[in-house]
Amino acid sequence: MSEVEETIKRIQSHKGVSGIIIVNADGIPIRTTLDNSTTVQYSGLIHQLAAKAKSTVRDLDPQNDLTFLRIRSKKHEIMVAPDKEYLLIVIQSPNEV
Amino acid sequence: MFIYAVSSVRPLEYVILQYINDRETQTTALLVSDEAVQSYKTVDEAVQTDEEPKRKLRLAEDTSGQLANFLRRTEPYIIKQLTNNLRSRAFDGYDVDLEDDSTSVTSLHTLTYPSLQDKFQVTSLSWNSTGSVIGASYGQQEHEDWCTHRSVMCTWNLDRTGIVADKPDSKIEVDSCLMYIAFHPKNPAIVAGGSFNGEVLLWDLSREDDMLIATSGLGQDSHQEPVTKVYWITDAKGKKIYLVSASGDGKIIQWKIDRKAQKLLPKEGFMVMTQSLPRQMKVKGVRGDREIGVTCLSYHSEDRETFIVGSETGVIFKCSMYSQGPPAGSHIVSSIPLRSPVTFTYNPHHGPVYAVECSPFHRNAFVSASMDQCIRLYSLLQAQPVLTIEPGEGYVHSATWSPVKATVIAATTQSGNLLIYDLKQGKTVPVHNIPASSNKEPVYACQFNPQQTHLLATGDGKGRVQIFKLSSKLQQVSGKETEFLGNLVNVTAE
Repeated sequence: MSEVEETIKRIQSHKGVSGIIIVNADGIPIRTTLDNSTTVQYSGLIHQLAAKAKSTVRDLDPQNDLTFLRIRSKKHEIMVAPDKEYLLIVIQSPNEV
Repeated sequence: MFIYAVSSVRPLEYVILQYINDRETQTTALLVSDEAVQSYKTVDEAVQTDEEPKRKLRLAEDTSGQLANFLRRTEPYIIKQLTNNLRSRAFDGYDVDLEDDSTSVTSLHTLTYPSLQDKFQVTSLSWNSTGSVIGASYGQQEHEDWCTHRSVMCTWNLDRTGIVADKPDSKIEVDSCLMYIAFHPKNPAIVAGGSFNGEVLLWDLSREDDMLIATSGLGQDSHQEPVTKVYWITDAKGKKIYLVSASGDGKIIQWKIDRKAQKLLPKEGFMVMTQSLPRQMKVKGVRGDREIGVTCLSYHSEDRETFIVGSETGVIFKCSMYSQGPPAGSHIVSSIPLRSPVTFTYNPHHGPVYAVECSPFHRNAFVSASMDQCIRLYSLLQAQPVLTIEPGEGYVHSATWSPVKATVIAATTQSGNLLIYDLKQGKTVPVHNIPASSNKEPVYACQFNPQQTHLLATGDGKGRVQIFKLSSKLQQVSGKETEFLGNLVNVTAE
């Protein structure tokens, strides 16, 4: 699975990235670069939020679907790329460049 | 003839008439009561919730095997978004404030000690390490000779519900004017003070009786002039905390606390001398080893051995704890060797420097306030100030950085106002200009509360301490302030 590890490493080494979490369809993390408690917190909360966002988009227009979710806060930006089986969460702190 | 014949005779059977009598006796009812008796045995058991043993995060197994594909698909997009974010200026200047926004600075309390009868001014203020207690030292500015005043140090605990504005929670009497106090950075009950007589004192407020735990005494090793500043520093490893004092006699002494003997013993010392003055300030005929009075000092936030010293001459020096400068003149008597710590001299103010402070956020910035009515922002690396602010309100008695927002400076002036500058929003006009004393008395001291960051305390010439609540804007950090400050001090001077 070195391609997976390499990709994760590439994203992690990008400027400003604090961490990456990959979550499966059940909301359980399968890969992470952050510590345990943070990973658990992020995966649970973001999984729910992404599901809600997806259902909102589908409700507004059944032909539409969620492609990307970005949450910008004072301190970081959380980017969520959804998929049928996985969820990629990337946390970036653009201020700390 | 008698024949005795012994014959077995049936013993006489005595019929014992047994009289059976029915007798009744009755005792009083037995009183039965249940008494539970248990021997008590107490055992002290310390119970502490253990940190939940870090459960090894069991990552789920990837069952569908499509992870690589998924990443292949999403990676380019993610990278693109990440790069865009770094370059994006879309959110520059976009600050959302969802909480209740208070835009003004309001005065919460005015604390006084009536027995001082307005004759004493507040010489310095200090918040304790937990941020709940404010201490004020009192003194008088005019002294003709030795100080014979009996002064106090008062503390108020602001977290108490029934705070009485004119009754301090604790008062410590000192037999001369107190010039400066500083609470210990970790222990909330220890406070150090410097007096007009040159004595450095250490109190422990948690004691019941005599709170004084150590003093430097008034001998040769203590200061010969009023102590202008006492400061707690942490050593390079961050473990030990030392007390440093600076005074008008040019000495900067680091003290060792001997609790048993209740004395403060000098550990290491420096002397700021005239030979460190810039050439244009040197006076002909004055020897190079004459002392220069130190009015303020500030240790660098990151580099534990660098400190900035402001003097009575208006010159600001950059000093190092390990400098091997020339030793003090032979006319100075001291039990520890004193040497000059100066490594660099900055462009001087035109009057005594009342305050210097290194920025807690940026390692190259420091601010100074002086009697020449200016506030200057310097970069540690160059002699010319980066920015000079002239509020036009008389002498600037103090200037201090905000502990949360890198671009905020608070200053107090002779005209009785508290000025708060936000360098990001204007370098010459303060964002807040609030009267901090009644009757336009000069305001001498100003301190942000490092723990409860919405509080700011000021002390004026009539002994009044005012506690201000800062607006939420002054506490909101957007993350770009340190960068802004960095850009400001990197620019060459005007």
